[in-house]
Amino acid sequence: MAEGGTLLALGIFLIALPFLLLALIGILWSVAYPLMLIWAVLFSGKKLDRQIADTVQREGQTLATRGRDPLTTIDGGYRTDITSCGIVWAGVVYGPSHWFLLRGWVHNLIGGSIDIFQKVISAGRAEAMQRLREQAVTHGFDDVINVRIDTSDMAPQGAQRAIKAVEIFAYGTGVKYG
Amino acid sequence: MEQMVKGILVVNTETIPGMMITEALGVVSGSTVRAKNIGRDITQGLRNIMGGELVKYTELLEESRQEAIGRMVADAMSRGATAIVNVRFATSAVTAGAAELFAYGTAVKTE
Repeated sequence: MAEGGTLLALGIFLIALPFLLLALIGILWSVAYPLMLIWAVLFSGKKLDRQIADTVQREGQTLATRGRDPLTTIDGGYRTDITSCGIVWAGVVYGPSHWFLLRGWVHNLIGGSIDIFQKVISAGRAEAMQRLREQAVTHGFDDVINVRIDTSDMAPQGAQRAIKAVEIFAYGTGVKYG
Repeated sequence: MEQMVKGILVVNTETIPGMMITEALGVVSGSTVRAKNIGRDITQGLRNIMGGELVKYTELLEESRQEAIGRMVADAMSRGATAIVNVRFATSAVTAGAAELFAYGTAVKTE
């Protein structure tokens, strides 16, 4: 009888194992998430500032070497001495931290402009444009004409537990002057 | 990212500088739906708490866009075009886990 009992216990344990693991993950998550949120509260602002500073610094370098901003939205450009052209693009997936989301939510109750989201999105956009400039340089182009910037949501509207981020995608036609 | 993708010149302007468009061959398009794998979703979800760039998703979309453009170029080649002008991109999220990337333009013959 003792052998039958142990077998039964083993069987129950094996069936329960996946559920136990799930429960364990749930418990771990409920402990880890508040900790990470606190981490985000403390450091996400600094991270964003650092990111912006980095983008601005690289932008400054490009402007210094080229003398002016290579990006224009003019279709066709204004110069006739173009020798080669081709498409260049750069994208970046950028999201606000959960601390910013919380602040945004509070702002949303009060109303008015939510500056924190504006800051996050502009940081992402500046980064995408800087990458477009760098792509143009990598491919040996002097300028990028007809630049378009697209912003699209990574998650559809109404998706609750999705990643909160937007994709900023910049593209244009790189041109080389003869 | 090649400018001359398989011998076909791709630009997003209406004309090609220094070339004459002789014939328009209609709209060509290419699209791809890319799902993110679950492991990536978890790591990027954790990264999302801190905010900032989600590097893996940036890479994923880069690859997918390359593929969409490749399909568009293949479409243009099958029509005997030499260039694609006025290329536009569109992105839509089908569900939370998958994104459709769509590239379209006009296939033309040039001289």
